[in-house]
Amino acid sequence: MKKIILFLFTVLAITSCKKSVLNEVNPNQITTATFWNKEADVQSALAATYGLLRDVNGGYWGVRGIELSNGRGDDFFIRNDVADLYRLSTFTNTPDNGPINDLWNTSYRAIFRANQILENVGKVPGLSDQLKAAYTSEAKFLRGLNYFILVTNFGAVPLHLKVPVSKDDYFMAKSPEAEVWKQTIQDFTDAAANLPLSYPAQFVGRATRGAAIAFLGKAQLYTKDYAGAETTLKQLTASPFNYSLMPNYGDNFIAAKKNNAESVFEIQLADVGGTNPWAGENASEAIGVTTAQEFAPAEVAGWFEVSPTDKLFNEFKKEQTTTNDFDPRMYATLIWDYPGATFYNKPFSGFKLLFGYSSMFKKYQNYTQDGEITGASGASDYTSSNNERALRFADILLLLGEALTMENKTTEAFPYVKQIRDRAQLPAIAIPASQDFMMAEIRHQRMIEFARENQRFYDLKRWGLLQQELTNSDKVGKQFYVPGKHDYWPIPQSEINANSKMVQNTNW
Amino acid sequence: MYKFTFSLFRAFFILLIVGWGCFSRGYAQQANVVTGVVTTKDDGLPLPGVTVTIKNTQTGMATDGNGKFSIKAPIGSILLFNAVGYSSFEANVTGPVLNVVLEPKPSNLNEVVVIGYGTVKKKDLTGAIANIKGSDIKSQGVSDITKALQGKLPGVTIESAGGNPGSGTRILIRGVGTLGNADPLYIVDGVQVANINNLSQNEIQSIDILKDASAAAIYGSRAANGVVLVTTKSGKSGQTVIQADANYGVQQIAHKVSVLNAEQWATVSNAAHDAAGLARLDIAATPSSLGAGTNWQDAIYKAAPIQQYDLLVSGGNQSGNYSISGSYDNQDGIVKVTGYNRYNLRAKSETSKGPFKIGETIILTREKTISMPGGWGGQGGDPVGSAAKMIPVFQIYDPTALGGYAGATGPVVNVANPVAQLNLEDINRISSNVLANVYGQATLLPGLTYKLNFGYTSNFGTNTDYYKRYVVGTLFTHPTNDISISKDQNDLLLVENTLNYIKTFGKHSLQALAGYTYQKSNYTYLLSARTDLPDGLQNIDAGAGTSTTSGNSIESTLVSSLARIIYSYDNRYLLTASIRRDGSSRFGASNKYGNFPSIALGWNLSNEKFFEPAKNILSTFKLRASYGVLGNQEIGDYQYSAAVASNINYVTGTSQQKWFGAIQTSFADPNIKWESTQTTNVGFDAGLIQDKLNITADYFVKITDDVLLNVPIPGSAGSTSNPVVNAGKLRNNGIEIGASYSDQAGKLKYTVFGTFSAVKNKVLALGTGTQQIFGGQPTHHGASSTLTEAGGPITGFYLIKDIGIFQSQAEINAYKDKNGNPIQPNAQPGDIKYLDANGDGQINAQDKVYMGSPFPNFEYGFGFNASLYNFDINAFFQGTQGNKIYNGLRQDLESMSLEFNYSTTTLNAWTPTHTNTTVPRAVSNDPNFNDQTSSRFLEDGSYLRMKTLQVGYTIQDNLKRRLKISSLRLYVSADNVFTITKYTGFNADIGRTGSIFDRGVDFGHVAYPLARTVSVGLQLGL
Repeated sequence: MKKIILFLFTVLAITSCKKSVLNEVNPNQITTATFWNKEADVQSALAATYGLLRDVNGGYWGVRGIELSNGRGDDFFIRNDVADLYRLSTFTNTPDNGPINDLWNTSYRAIFRANQILENVGKVPGLSDQLKAAYTSEAKFLRGLNYFILVTNFGAVPLHLKVPVSKDDYFMAKSPEAEVWKQTIQDFTDAAANLPLSYPAQFVGRATRGAAIAFLGKAQLYTKDYAGAETTLKQLTASPFNYSLMPNYGDNFIAAKKNNAESVFEIQLADVGGTNPWAGENASEAIGVTTAQEFAPAEVAGWFEVSPTDKLFNEFKKEQTTTNDFDPRMYATLIWDYPGATFYNKPFSGFKLLFGYSSMFKKYQNYTQDGEITGASGASDYTSSNNERALRFADILLLLGEALTMENKTTEAFPYVKQIRDRAQLPAIAIPASQDFMMAEIRHQRMIEFARENQRFYDLKRWGLLQQELTNSDKVGKQFYVPGKHDYWPIPQSEINANSKMVQNTNW
Repeated sequence: MYKFTFSLFRAFFILLIVGWGCFSRGYAQQANVVTGVVTTKDDGLPLPGVTVTIKNTQTGMATDGNGKFSIKAPIGSILLFNAVGYSSFEANVTGPVLNVVLEPKPSNLNEVVVIGYGTVKKKDLTGAIANIKGSDIKSQGVSDITKALQGKLPGVTIESAGGNPGSGTRILIRGVGTLGNADPLYIVDGVQVANINNLSQNEIQSIDILKDASAAAIYGSRAANGVVLVTTKSGKSGQTVIQADANYGVQQIAHKVSVLNAEQWATVSNAAHDAAGLARLDIAATPSSLGAGTNWQDAIYKAAPIQQYDLLVSGGNQSGNYSISGSYDNQDGIVKVTGYNRYNLRAKSETSKGPFKIGETIILTREKTISMPGGWGGQGGDPVGSAAKMIPVFQIYDPTALGGYAGATGPVVNVANPVAQLNLEDINRISSNVLANVYGQATLLPGLTYKLNFGYTSNFGTNTDYYKRYVVGTLFTHPTNDISISKDQNDLLLVENTLNYIKTFGKHSLQALAGYTYQKSNYTYLLSARTDLPDGLQNIDAGAGTSTTSGNSIESTLVSSLARIIYSYDNRYLLTASIRRDGSSRFGASNKYGNFPSIALGWNLSNEKFFEPAKNILSTFKLRASYGVLGNQEIGDYQYSAAVASNINYVTGTSQQKWFGAIQTSFADPNIKWESTQTTNVGFDAGLIQDKLNITADYFVKITDDVLLNVPIPGSAGSTSNPVVNAGKLRNNGIEIGASYSDQAGKLKYTVFGTFSAVKNKVLALGTGTQQIFGGQPTHHGASSTLTEAGGPITGFYLIKDIGIFQSQAEINAYKDKNGNPIQPNAQPGDIKYLDANGDGQINAQDKVYMGSPFPNFEYGFGFNASLYNFDINAFFQGTQGNKIYNGLRQDLESMSLEFNYSTTTLNAWTPTHTNTTVPRAVSNDPNFNDQTSSRFLEDGSYLRMKTLQVGYTIQDNLKRRLKISSLRLYVSADNVFTITKYTGFNADIGRTGSIFDRGVDFGHVAYPLARTVSVGLQLGL
């Protein structure tokens, strides 16, 4: 019997082969071993990180992100088509809600990518210290922005600040909300340090120093550091910055006026990629957004997924312009059946309002086209090239006004708020005497200035007015709002399922 | 392990010595001596161990190792020759020399079973192998042979993989041995192929399925999920055969789902809106005026023809044989537009001259599959799902619309018109396959042969997706004609060098094999797409719009050395030992190689002297035991290195140009290594009552370690996909029994047969963060339904438990937690009451409880073949028992929360005046989540199906002579005759492909219903 064994092993020994036959190298992709060896690699890595901001499933400025961030507002309605969206907008979602899960995952993917840049930019040969510092700042901006998204939506979340090395690094517990804010503010602070004031024409649209300062100020205001916010945001109103309000409010929401004087940070969208918006991250993916198509009315083959509530419609009507017309922001934000109203080159009377509300969203719709299915490239790719203005100078002015008001400097606050009113051709008013009056004015202005711009719900939350304003609205599902619980999204069930260190948010 | 092997050897030695004592008795008389050699008719080799006795005396002896005997017998006496597996033979003693040729008995123990790199007689087999002859595959009306095998092979689970014609099956051998790809290895005439769906039933000689380590270990790394060996037909010496077969049948849908008509739907919809305080839908305003509306299911299903034609020519002489066959299959799907056709051509021959033998198999196939669209981005899914969900108020056609179809309008869920889906998108795949195997063999020394085998397969496929422009209702619009064409090519080259040595000396018989093999596969893919084509043109060049291209390639290599010894002593003691060493390019430098040994023992008890008294009842009896280690490397290539994904693009600049993006998007584990499965098998083969009743039974334990798996990592880690790692350990154990009884009663010849398999699986460890893997999302928006965790079964159903309906507000108020707070505050009378399993006062994912398994307690098949005069009848039944199915389509159709069509069960919904029901109230917003993933939609998946019923008539001899043909049989066949099941979905054999964690979850979006087929056919031999 030993001979048999001997025979078997002899055969093995004779026939052992050379290892090189078995070394197959992936012919489709380079590996991390050969990446990070030139400046273009860093730039490509940045593009791959920015791109997630408009991801069709989980990007904060992609269509689902717009629905997630606006859906709970008292100004916003989502129809009962995609059940997960309807539920999240009516406070009946559960932790396994798909879009919430996608927002979480996409934000952390961006953080993983930003961390890769931070850890590798130093290794790239031939890169000047100045460039290294600038790229580091840009990656920090992107990481900070994603933590800003996570902390405002989920509260306490894990803080991944390094690229995971071992398996254990995948599993991380939550840091307290305050810690996440601290990191967010730190990242924006670091980003502001070395980001350029502007870019050459080839790279316009990337994060500038102004963008970092703006988000830093916003984060400070959100964390009630009013003095800090004042100092930070004031920088943007003076040299070397030259932001200004666009004279025509509506120019902020049309593709023809991208990256304009009012734009502080803008998500770059153009129909210059593939033709499938749902293809995932590859060459086939269309690199605009489907938001305009999904929000467009049925009459132009849109999916009419959302609608403004009448609370918003009526809020616009509270004040008329000096020429006794509606606020120009109302015309730019909503479309309704006023004399001469046209939408997608058709009289608005030909459109049907389906949900019992009085208007539709016009803001960010490409309403001068005949519809939204055909993108700028001519392909039927549902793609809008209309850049999402992530942060406008108008926000800086109102945030600054709010910070000053909260510091009880209403007189100092007033000129900033007045700029907003003046652009809207509203009549001059006296400086409100009290902090309360000033805040009321700011709240009113923010509601109509930023409708559908990812602000209303977070503003109400910050002001502690969610319960009051939801109750006092025609919001569908308002009876299911539970204070405290619905102020944050639940931690996605799949995260809890895979991460033994994760605990669910309170009440979920 | 090796220690274990050696102790097995030692046990074998002891058996040997004991055995020696048993047979060394003999008789010796000094008289007229007759000597001779007994040889076999099948291979001409000397036959040892043949009992030679003088008729009507006690005098006798056995032939020696060289088949020789020498016995004192007077001239004129009669010698009886008896050997297991051979017909008894009587010979008159006429002189001193008497050579005898024994003919093998048509017993299954003498059948040759194909094992890796060779064959072995069933009597010498030590491993667990299930086998079926091509002629025993009776199903007709299916274009895929594996569907016909369902239930016929113990331990082999065959499930449909989608129902689209040409979509094939999923074969699981001995349960789910891994959490990744659990497909077995397929070998056709010695060459590895991806699947065997493209083979024609009539060109198959036999299918042998290697189940345990002893049988499969020679395939080492690729064998852990079992090996399916297909042998195609060979010609036989002396007889030229021309066989022509034809079959024509009609398929019809066996079971539709029952949904509401227009009036019923409007009534339920209105009730749901009223309950939620929401405005009614305009289209549902006056239910009574709507009538029945459109029956969307009737609109997409049809009676579909299926036809198959085969021609086979074979023949040969002493120095060679050949077999050539061709076939044509054409199957329309029961879903309109879908279909499949296939042309096969096969040639196989073998020629020998002197010490050389050369042979080849060449199989060419061309297949075309027309599939239905998967979905148009809406929520209906494929046309089968859309047809169930599409609101019956809407119309099918609208001649004024671009494309000609009507569709959904208004604030309803975007379900596409299924008829439009089928007709406005043309999706097909044309695939050409070449399988070529050429070998040369030389006999170097007596018993020693060297074989060089070249195998080559090439699969070249073209997928075309032509998307016509249309406006279908207000929710689906596509203004341009678009086309996408992709080509893929898969080549495999196999070189095998083997040395085979066969030697019989005395009572010892030895078969030794050593070999070295090299295998390389190449895959290339290229896609080109263009938008905006003029109507009627379907080529890329015609498009005026945007072009998209992509392409990639994959290479992998496997080198192996292997050795095997099959040894038997005196036809009583059998030993098989094998080892294979594999090197794979799929693993990193330090983990490329794996060793896979096995050992098996067999004992033909019935050949022992002491067994004689029992032989009247138990004519043959063999015990088998085996142990071995098998490997698995079925993961993607290059998984051990972290890749940089490119084309993750963004936009930048004043001209808003594309900004090329690239970065690492997911993690990789550089240390991944072989997954290994240790299999222990014990079994017996028994023949009772002169081998009329044959039973084969096996018990096995399979332990899979270092399971290769995409382990779910938290989304917060930032990876776009889960890395492949070696995680976890599984155990499968089970029994499988196959039995058949053949007999004759007067003119009635019959065989009754059956199979039984029961497999239990358990996860021993999972190397993931939470030790839990969730899966089985049943609908577009439902929570997961299955959980796999250490200590539990693979993919158990863990669900929130439905414990009835709240009949009153008082009941809702009374359902409180320990603090007195209502557990379901949003509930109203008529809503579902859920079990707060963890007692935390809330109903959420933490309340999931184990509700059953998607794996059956047992599977079975049984049937009979009988013939009387010129008639024959075959019937076959097959089923599963004890498995659960999660009915995802029902979860949607019974929701009454979203705006699409509902199941007829919703007519039975709870109302204050109709409380005796299990269907909750109709409500649009559904704040109580009556339609959430819960035990409400889990159903008993057991079924018993009459799979085949066939009645044939073979024409009489005199008519054959007049027609100058050698045989003619006509038959009528019915497949999927009926199914007995409580399952309410399309088909209890749900046919979902994909992840193992989705097992047992019937996802309504991708269903394809079962077809019932009735066909007629003829089999003509010239």
